[in-house]
Amino acid sequence: MSTGDQLTQFIVSGLTTGSIYALIALGFCIIHNAIGIVNFTQVDFVTLGGMMMYTFFQSLNFPMPLAFVLGVLTVTAIGALVERFAIRPAKSRAVIVLIFITIGVSILMRGAFKIIWGTNQMALPSFSGDTPFLILRAAVLPQSLWIFVITVIVVILLHFFFSSTRVGKAMRATSFNPKAAALMGVNVNRMILFSFALSGALGAVAGIIIVPITTLSYDIGVILGLKGFAAAVLGGYGNIIGAIIGGLSLGLLESFGAGMISSTYKDVIAFAILLLVLFMKPSGLLGYGEKERV
Amino acid sequence: MAAGLSKTKRLLSLIIPALVIVIIPFLIPNPYYLNVINIIGLNTIVVVGLSLLIGYAGQISLGHAAFYGLGAYLSGILTVTYSFSPWFAMIVALLATGLLALAIGIPTLKLHGHYLVMATLGFNLIINIILIQWDKMTGGPSGFPGIPSLTIGSWSFDSDKRMYYLIWFFAFASIILALNLVSSRVGRGLRALHGSEAAAASVGVRTESYKVKVFVLSAIFASVAGSLYAHYLTFISPKTFDIFFSVELVTMVIVGGMGSIWGALSGTVFLTPLPHVLHFFDEYKDVFYGLILVLILIFIPEGLVVAIQSRWLSKRRSETEEIPVDAAKLSVRPVHDYPTHGCEKRRAVPGSGNQAILRVENVSIRFGGLMALGQVSFEMPEGSITALIGPNGAGKTTLINVISGASQPQLGKVFFRDREISGRQPYHMAAMGLNRTFQNLQIFENMTVLENVMVGLHAKTRNEFVSSLFRLPGFSREEREIEQKAWEVLKFFHLEEKGLWPASSLSYGEQKRIEMARALASAPTILLLDEPVAGLNMTETREMAGTISEIRSQGVSVLLIEHDMNLVMGISDKVVVLNYGRKIAEGYPEDIQRDEKVLAAYLGGVA
Repeated sequence: MSTGDQLTQFIVSGLTTGSIYALIALGFCIIHNAIGIVNFTQVDFVTLGGMMMYTFFQSLNFPMPLAFVLGVLTVTAIGALVERFAIRPAKSRAVIVLIFITIGVSILMRGAFKIIWGTNQMALPSFSGDTPFLILRAAVLPQSLWIFVITVIVVILLHFFFSSTRVGKAMRATSFNPKAAALMGVNVNRMILFSFALSGALGAVAGIIIVPITTLSYDIGVILGLKGFAAAVLGGYGNIIGAIIGGLSLGLLESFGAGMISSTYKDVIAFAILLLVLFMKPSGLLGYGEKERV
Repeated sequence: MAAGLSKTKRLLSLIIPALVIVIIPFLIPNPYYLNVINIIGLNTIVVVGLSLLIGYAGQISLGHAAFYGLGAYLSGILTVTYSFSPWFAMIVALLATGLLALAIGIPTLKLHGHYLVMATLGFNLIINIILIQWDKMTGGPSGFPGIPSLTIGSWSFDSDKRMYYLIWFFAFASIILALNLVSSRVGRGLRALHGSEAAAASVGVRTESYKVKVFVLSAIFASVAGSLYAHYLTFISPKTFDIFFSVELVTMVIVGGMGSIWGALSGTVFLTPLPHVLHFFDEYKDVFYGLILVLILIFIPEGLVVAIQSRWLSKRRSETEEIPVDAAKLSVRPVHDYPTHGCEKRRAVPGSGNQAILRVENVSIRFGGLMALGQVSFEMPEGSITALIGPNGAGKTTLINVISGASQPQLGKVFFRDREISGRQPYHMAAMGLNRTFQNLQIFENMTVLENVMVGLHAKTRNEFVSSLFRLPGFSREEREIEQKAWEVLKFFHLEEKGLWPASSLSYGEQKRIEMARALASAPTILLLDEPVAGLNMTETREMAGTISEIRSQGVSVLLIEHDMNLVMGISDKVVVLNYGRKIAEGYPEDIQRDEKVLAAYLGGVA
């Protein structure tokens, strides 16, 4: 294989995982924009997406598209439940307390996954077979293409949702200024609930489309989710475009780091570069910064 | 408040826990329980250090398991592979971890919020992967065995009980050091920067350096605990030091109560054995662990110990409130009339250069396309009240930010007497005797009224980390002086009755006075007041006018930004008018009131 082919291969695999990171990063951003916290249950939304797909498709033998939709809907509902029963009743609105509530819920959810699905590794088939085809002389798995296409569709839908729907605009208003939004008649609590639901949906999509090219277990979302968090930070936390760029860059960084330097240290390379970027641009590539105003 | 406790009470509050520590092994001979208690002790050391960083300085780290791991691995590798003596290895590990924390901390602690969380998390991930992958040095994923026990002479710490005393000696020492630090000038500085970095810097706290120092200190605590862990268990593996343990450590700080050392201890004592207790529930143990965590954070977010303490304290306060207070002391301070210019000897002639204490020369700042300040120059005569007025958006606050070091001018210079000061940090300005208040009130809500003012003395006092941690000679004298001076300042502002109240519980008008008291505490040469009467009622405004005049008569030069024209014209010696970032007039108040450009700027119309 020539170097040129290798480069194409790295790009393809980088964009594949990068898309997943971007979807997860979007989930982190949407909740951040709603209430300013890092929601660590995002990690488990990813796992749960894969698990529900397994249950609907593998155990209950539903047709794949139906299983896909049901899986996303279930996690969307779980996202809303997390907000309703763990975030909303919290007596404190302090960011750090809310963040650690999500960590507590995350531990709880992983515990529940272990009980329901066990700790064994499971597998799901690809959406349309495993015969690679060639693009620019690089072997591409059909699932990679699915991942890429679905991510693009999700991003377009999100863009439409935030720019053209009433609820989407209300959510944006809430993210800019919750008090002003409330005064204009926006039900801020409901917008926060929707944010959790939407993040659940995004996490679920990420989980469902990635599982065929990895394996599925109760903690599959943890490392993916952390990378998604890193991607969101890299892009500029809370910035939607930043999340996408951050996700794709992190994916590419990893795949080039693994291919050209060392695959055992690929995470070290990715995170070290992430740190360097932050040291030079403390609010990420497209971030607005969190400077105190006096 | 520690300063309020008598010495014997303070001693007693330490002797009792010490006695409990000594007795415990006799009550619990079961080695399994003793082992859990030893782990609690090790965690305590880490969590107490982390509490200083998170609870006091407000900087969240999800990377401290890495420092714990570095301490453990360095001790292990140095003793086994390089045959160092364990104690010496422990010191080398401590120094190396401290140095690494310094190198990491300097760039990392410039980050805020979620960025800081990610950076520390990333650091932990990197260290953990290195521990796993560098198997020639670390033994890889299967761990590092055969670490010798610690010894003193021929006495070896090779049993749970012996190790118990050593671990808890260190845990107890870490608690005492932390308690020393938090009730000191440094501790107040840390809490101040947690409350508001800008305000902390404005009274002389070197915020960046303090953040890095407390980060290094907490890393050293973690390293010592790690070394003890390695010599206690004699076997270490990378899994112990992963990000999940970092998360667990921070959870202990929060569940126990942020901003309380005893909270850190109770969080550790509660959470460390919880998984062992929940083992009983078998496969449901994670679910219960998560559930307990969530419930505590939802319903007792202030933390276990703080919840108990505040319940106890509020009971005590309601008791003291029944004590009749001297009515004369409670009455409002004598209402000052506006000093009129007829009675005041004019000290300064506007525009005369020779007695200028502050000189602004051609200062310009652009924010993108907006010119916030364009070639602004003026002089502030020594001992005067110089008012800076102008419509909203004229650039007044930007100018004060430039003078106080909060923003840097892109062009132009600022001179304090004949020394150029532009471009210096706010804490330098505070040390030189230039203090300020803020337009949007910046008091430290997490501190008492007295402590707010004590922080105000930061620039003029010197106890630092080492002397505070170890209570070196001279420490207590300076602390006493700070407290005494702060009470005097509170008296001047008629706030002494509420000195021990949380600053957040006072009214807006009182909080404005706290902020001014804080700025005045270190007896500055120049005081910059950014809208001191905004939001105050007429009585409060009149009092404030009296206070500002009184401050001037004590020799402090005041630069006053204000929209209340009665106040400005009543007490100022000189007025400078800005509009759209440019100076449009400068002169005596009575001349400014007649100036056509000024009238046009305020009322519209043709200039």
